[in-house]
Amino acid sequence: MSEVKRKQTKEITVTIDGKSITTEYGKTILEVARENDIYIPTMCYLTKVEPIASCRMCVVDVEGVDGMILSCQEKAVDGAVINTNTKELEAERQNIMKLYDVNHPLECGVCDKSGECDLQNKTLEFNVSQQNFTAKDMYRPVQNWGFISYDPSLCIMCEKCVRVCNEIVGSEQLQVSTGGYKSTIINTKPENNCISCGECMAVCPVGALVSSDFKYTSNAWELNKIPSSCALCSAGCQMYYEVKPESIDNPTEKIFRVTNEYEFTSMCGAGRFGFDYANTTAFKDRAKFERAVEAFKKADTITFSSSITNEEALMLTHIAKAIDAKLSCPEAYGFSKFLKAYSSVSGKSLWGGDLATLAKSDAIISLATRVKDDAPMVKNHIAMAVKREKAQVVYMHPIEDSHIQNLVTKFVKYEAGSEEGVVALLLELLTRDKELPTELKSFIDELDIGNLSGESSISEEELDEIVATFWKKRRFSLIVGEDIYNHPEVENIAKMLAAIEKYTNYNVVVTPPASNSLGVALICDLEPEATGYTVGYNCEADFNLSSLGDGDLDMPALNQQEGSIVTINKQLVPLNVALGYDGYILNDIANELGVGRKYTIDFTSELPKDKGFKGIEFDSLANNFSKYGEDIRGYKLEVINVESKIELNDVEDLPSFDGIVVYNVDSAQNPNPFTQKSKLTKTEPKLLGSKQFAMAAKVKDGDLVEFELNGKKVRRVFSIDTSLKGTIALNPTSDMGLSAFAVSSYRFSQININKVGGANE
Amino acid sequence: MSQILFSTWQGELIDNRNKPKEEWAETGFKLPLEYDSDTPSRAFIGWDGVAIFDENIDAVKLATEYAAQYQIYSEACGRCAPGRWGGRILFDLLDKIARGEGSFDDIEHLSEVSKTMMNTSKCEIGRTVPKPILDLMEHYKEQFDKCILEQTKSHHYDNDNKYIAKITAPCMDMCPTHVDIPAYIEGVRDMEFTSSLAATRQTMPLAHTCGRVCPHPCEDACRRTNLDEPISIMELKRLGADYETDHHLEWFHPTEPKPPRNDGKKVAIIGAGPAGLTAAYYLGLEGIQVDIFEELPVLGGEVAVGVPQYRMPIEKYNKDIELVTSLPSVTVYTNHRVDAQRLKEIDAEYDATLLAFGTRLSKQVRAKNEREEIKGYWGAISMLDKVNLWHKYRIGSPASEDLKDKTVVCVGGGFTSMDVVRCSIREGAKKVIMLYRRDEKTIIRNTTYEEYHEAVEEGVEFIFHSAVEEIIDENDVLKKLKVNKFELVPDPNGGRPQLVKIEGGDFEIECDFLIPAVSQSADLQLLPEDWNIELTSWNTLLTNGRDYMTSRPGLFAAGDCEYGPMTIVNAVGQAKRAASVISRYIYDGKVSLTDDEIMEDHLAKLKVYNKNEKITGWMPGIPREVSEKLSVDERKTNNLEVNLGFTGEEAIAEAERCMRCYYIAMVAV
Repeated sequence: MSEVKRKQTKEITVTIDGKSITTEYGKTILEVARENDIYIPTMCYLTKVEPIASCRMCVVDVEGVDGMILSCQEKAVDGAVINTNTKELEAERQNIMKLYDVNHPLECGVCDKSGECDLQNKTLEFNVSQQNFTAKDMYRPVQNWGFISYDPSLCIMCEKCVRVCNEIVGSEQLQVSTGGYKSTIINTKPENNCISCGECMAVCPVGALVSSDFKYTSNAWELNKIPSSCALCSAGCQMYYEVKPESIDNPTEKIFRVTNEYEFTSMCGAGRFGFDYANTTAFKDRAKFERAVEAFKKADTITFSSSITNEEALMLTHIAKAIDAKLSCPEAYGFSKFLKAYSSVSGKSLWGGDLATLAKSDAIISLATRVKDDAPMVKNHIAMAVKREKAQVVYMHPIEDSHIQNLVTKFVKYEAGSEEGVVALLLELLTRDKELPTELKSFIDELDIGNLSGESSISEEELDEIVATFWKKRRFSLIVGEDIYNHPEVENIAKMLAAIEKYTNYNVVVTPPASNSLGVALICDLEPEATGYTVGYNCEADFNLSSLGDGDLDMPALNQQEGSIVTINKQLVPLNVALGYDGYILNDIANELGVGRKYTIDFTSELPKDKGFKGIEFDSLANNFSKYGEDIRGYKLEVINVESKIELNDVEDLPSFDGIVVYNVDSAQNPNPFTQKSKLTKTEPKLLGSKQFAMAAKVKDGDLVEFELNGKKVRRVFSIDTSLKGTIALNPTSDMGLSAFAVSSYRFSQININKVGGANE
Repeated sequence: MSQILFSTWQGELIDNRNKPKEEWAETGFKLPLEYDSDTPSRAFIGWDGVAIFDENIDAVKLATEYAAQYQIYSEACGRCAPGRWGGRILFDLLDKIARGEGSFDDIEHLSEVSKTMMNTSKCEIGRTVPKPILDLMEHYKEQFDKCILEQTKSHHYDNDNKYIAKITAPCMDMCPTHVDIPAYIEGVRDMEFTSSLAATRQTMPLAHTCGRVCPHPCEDACRRTNLDEPISIMELKRLGADYETDHHLEWFHPTEPKPPRNDGKKVAIIGAGPAGLTAAYYLGLEGIQVDIFEELPVLGGEVAVGVPQYRMPIEKYNKDIELVTSLPSVTVYTNHRVDAQRLKEIDAEYDATLLAFGTRLSKQVRAKNEREEIKGYWGAISMLDKVNLWHKYRIGSPASEDLKDKTVVCVGGGFTSMDVVRCSIREGAKKVIMLYRRDEKTIIRNTTYEEYHEAVEEGVEFIFHSAVEEIIDENDVLKKLKVNKFELVPDPNGGRPQLVKIEGGDFEIECDFLIPAVSQSADLQLLPEDWNIELTSWNTLLTNGRDYMTSRPGLFAAGDCEYGPMTIVNAVGQAKRAASVISRYIYDGKVSLTDDEIMEDHLAKLKVYNKNEKITGWMPGIPREVSEKLSVDERKTNNLEVNLGFTGEEAIAEAERCMRCYYIAMVAV
C-alpha cells in the first residue's frame, strides 16, 4: 500500500510535459493541464459537469505509476511528473478513434454537425483514414423527442447528454441503456414530458442530437455567429444567434438557430428555440415617426416594459426630463419598490447571492415562485446543488410542482396572499439564536407566531422541520420569487427578507420579473401609475411603440439591437444585433427631442455610477468565458452601500383567498409575448387546473371559460392537468401581448368563472 | 490441490497436455472442476486466466463464447469506447475465425484491439476480458491456425454446449448478499441516485440500514487497498436511499413488482427482522403471497429494538421496512408469538415456512452467583429493548429512570456491548465500564475503529484483559463485582498467545448494573420436539449453507437463528438465497439453485480478491473520504444520528476512487 497523505497540503506542485506548475489539491490532471495551456485530447469531457470518463482519450503517463492514467478524473497529487504526449499514448488514442469510427455512417455531406463535429475533427487529428476494424452493423432507427431528434447510429455514447439532463437540468430523463455494442441513449419520458430545453442537443459532439427544426437546413460553416445574451429573462444567458440569408432567392438574413458556449454554461428551451421574434417588417415610415414624436411631446407619462436595454432605459429618463413627463413601468415598478425597501434594511444597493452561490448551496429555500416555469435557470442551479451538494430544498408556495419532486426535499404550502406572514415566520425562524439589533428583536418578539402560522397555514411543526432539514448544513440560499413584487405589502416583505440576509448566513437571490427589470429599477425613477396622455414602449398606452410589430410605430426587438441588460447575477451583459432593422429606433426619437446620441450604445458608458454601473464603453465590454470557465461577460455591478435603518410595519391580518383562484404563470418554454410570437415555442393558451379545481369551478376539460382578471375579461379553454392538486389554476399571460395588467398585478386572483362554450361544442 | 489438464489461472502455468496422468502438476486454486453434483465442467475462463479440464475442448469456440458473454452479460458494458466497440470487434473477429472465415490479419487485429482494451477500458472487465482470450490464442494456437488455414469451423462450433457466465467483483464476492457495489457507486458518481438505489436493491432491500450499520466485509476485499486505501463502500450506499427518502419519491424497485399471483401458494416467515424482511421482499417482488409473523409489537427485529437510534435512526429503517410491506402480496402480523403448537399449524397451512427469528437470548457471563433474580443483573437484549422501544416508539418507560447517575458495567466486546455502553451514557449513567477479556486491537477488529473510538470519546471506560469471577449482592441487590485480571502470554511454539490469569491481580468494582453482552443464543422453544430438527453445535438451525432448508422439508431457516449472532448483511444474504430457493420449492417441491447462484458459490470458493495483485492505470495516493461525525458534546446526551454521512462533494470524490473491478467468469459444461 502506498503512503496516503491524510492531510493533503493545499498547495501542490506537479510537472506536466516538463513544465513545473503550482496549483491546489483537488483539481484533476486535465484541469491543471488546460489551465496551463497544455493540450490533452478528449471526446467526452465537458467542463461544466463532473468527469464522465467514457471516451478514455485523455490518458496520460505518470512517472512511477504503472499503466495509463485517466487525466479527466484523476486528481493531480503533489510531486507527480506527468507526460501527456508519448508514442504509446498517441497509439492508444489513435486506436480509440479507430474504434469510434467503426461503422460511423459516412454521411458528413448531409450531417448537420459536419464542420463542427468532434468526431470529424479528431478523426483527422489522429489520422484515421480507413476502417481497419469491423463489427456487424445493426439497425438503429431515428427517434423524435419533440424539438429534438436522436439518431442512435451517429451516437458515440459519450454520455454528455445524459449527464447534463441529470446534473444541470435535473430532469433525469435521458439515460444510458447499457448492452455493449447495443448501448444507446433512451428518453424515459419522451415528447410530452421532455421539457425540451435543448441542453442535450447543445452538448452533443456529433450529429446524433439535433434540432428537428434546424435539421438539414444549413451547413455549420455557412452560418454567421453573433455573440449576444439571451434577452428573454433575467438570467441573460450567453448565446450565439446563428444567421445566414434565408435562401438563394431571398438575401434577407434569418436566425437559423441559437447555440452557446455549452462547455461552460447552459440555457433554457425558450432561449434556444424561441429566438424567432425579431420585428422584421418595419421600415422608415416618416409620417408614423412624426406622429410618434408629437405623441411624446404631449405625453404626461411614458410607460414601458422592462424588456428594453439599459441604454434605452437611460434614454427614456432623458426624454422624460426633456418633455417633462413621468416614467412608468408596470412590470418593474413593484420590483423597484421591493429593491428600494430591501436596500433600506440591508444597507446595500443589491442582494447578496447569485446563481453561482446558489449552485454551491447545500440548503435552499425557494419562496414565492413556481421556479421551474418562472426561472428555468434558477431551477437548473437548484438541480446542480441537489446533485452535487446533496442540497436540501424547501419549496414554499401555494401550489406544489410535482415536476420537480426529485429536486425538492420539503414542500411547504401556504395560503395564496399570505406571503407577508410567511416571510415573518421565516424571519423569526431563521434569526433564532442570532444576535439582532433591539428594534428588530422587538419587532420579532411582537409577532404573533401562532396567528401567522394559522393564517398562512404553515404549522409550527413544519417550521421546525425546516430547521431539522437544514441541520448541519453550511451554505444557505434563499430564492425570492416574482409573487412578492406586486403584493400589497411588498415593502414590508422586502425589509424582512433583507433582515434575513443581513443577520443570518443566507445568500438571498432575488429573481427579477423580466429580462431587464433590474436595469430599469436601477436607472429609472418610476411612478406607481401612468396618468394623463400616455406613450407606451412595449406597453399598452394611448400611443404605442412596439417591437412586436403591432403598435403605432415599430421598434426593434432585443435581438435587433446593441445594448445591455442587467441579470439576476447583478451582471451587465451585452446584446448584439442578430438581424438588421430598417425602422426607426428610440435614439432617433431622443435625437428629435434633443437628448439623443450618435449611437444608442453611446449611452452605455453614461449609465449611473451611483447605482453601481461602471462607465465602460460598450465596445470595451468582454463577451466571453475565461479559461477557468468563469463568466466574464460585461461586468458585475458595484454594490453601493446605502443608509440602513430598520423600520418595519406590524404584520396585520393576512388577506385570504376563498373559493377558486387563478395564478398567472407562463410555462418555461413560452414565458412572454416574444416567445409567443416565435414559431417553435408559441402555444395555445389554456387555463390549467386540477380535477379538484374543475369540480369546484364546475367546468370540464375542454370547456371554453371566461373570467375577470383586474376588471378585464379573459377567455380560455380549460384543460385538466393531472399533475396539479387543489383549487388554484394556472393562467398563461404570454398571449396577452402588450397588455400591462397581467404583469403589474398580484399573481393570485380569486375569480368567478363562467362557462361560455362546452367541450366538443 | 487438484489435478487439471491446463491452467493459466493467476499466473500459474500448468500444462499437462500430452503427459501421463501420474506426472500431472496440480493447482492450488479451488477451480470449479464440477459445475454441480451431476455436471462436470469442461473449462473455466475468467479475468485472470483460463483452466481446461477436458482434453477435447474447443478453445476457439470457448474464446468466442467468452467474448460473446461479455457483450451479453455485462450490464456495465457499453459505457466506454474501448469496451463498447472493442468487445464487439473481439467477438466478431473470433466468431469469424471460429466459423472458418478468418485470416491471420484478424489475429493481428485481435491483439491490437485487445491491447487498447487492456490499457484504456473504464472497467476492469474490459481490461481483463482479452487476457484469457490471448492465453488461448497462445497456448491453443494450433486450433486457431487450423480454422484459418483450412477455413473450417472449429470442432464444436455447431454443438449446443452450455456456457454459463457470471459477473462479479472482489467486493461483490465478499459481500454476503453480493450487492452490485460498483453499480451503486457508479450511480453516486453519475449523481443518478435512483439508479444507485435500484442497483443496491437487486440483492439488498435494506439500503438505509446497510448504508449505515453494516460492518462492510466488502471493504476488506476492495482492490483499491492494493493501491492506497479501500473505498468507503458502505457509506456510499446511503446516498441512493437518502435521495429517495428526502425527495419523497416513489419506491425504486430493481424490477417492477409482479402483481399477486393468487394461485393458492403461500409462504410463512417467522420474524420480521432483516432476514424475514429480505425474504418477504424478494418473494413479494415475484407476487408470491407472504405472511410474516412477528412476536414484538414493532417490525424490524434486532435492528429496530437492538441497534440504537443514534446509529440507525428508526425513521430511516422504517423506510426500508415500508419498502417491503408496501408490496401487495406481503402481509405482516405483529404481536404474534409462534410456539411449537402454532408452528405446526403454520407448517400445515403454508407451502413453505422460513424461520428467521434471530438470536434473542442473552448468554451468561459465567460468573459465580450469576442469577437472574439479582436486581441490577440485566441482559443486554432486554436492556436494549427497553431503551429502543421507548426512544423509537414511546413504548414502555425511559431507561434513564433505571440508569441515571448509576454505575454500569458491561461485559462484552462485540457490537451489542458497544450499543449497551453508549446507550448507558445517553441514559445518564454516572460511570460506564466495559470489561473485555482480550485487548484493544481485538475489540476494534470485532467491531469497528469508529465504534470503539466514539465510545471512548463519550466517556466509556474500557478495562481490557479482565473477566467477572463473582457477582456480589446484598439481599438480591447487586453491589459489586469481583474481577480477574489476565495477561497475554506468547506461545513459545509460535501459536496463538494464551490468556493467563494474573495471580493477585483481582480487583472489585462497585456498581449498580451488570449487563452481560457476551453473545446471544437462539430461542428454540418454537421447534416441536417430535420434528427432531437437526441443530448445529452452537444450537442453531442446521442447513447446508447453500439452500437454507432445514432437516425438515419445506422448513427453511436464515439469519442469526441459522448462523448464530452475525451481521445484518449476512442475514440478508442468506434470506435472499432462501427466498429464491423457496420460490421454486413451493411449485416443484425440489430444492434447487439457479446457475447464477451456483456460479456465486463457485466464485466464493475460488476467491475473487487477490490482495497481492499489482494495480495499474490508477493514480495512487488519493485519500479515502471521511464523513463528518457529531462532536462528543453534540451527541452524548441525545440520540441524534452520529454519522452525518458524506457531503455531496465528498461522496462524488469517493465514488471517483472506485476502480469498477468487474470481472466476468464463465464455465463450459
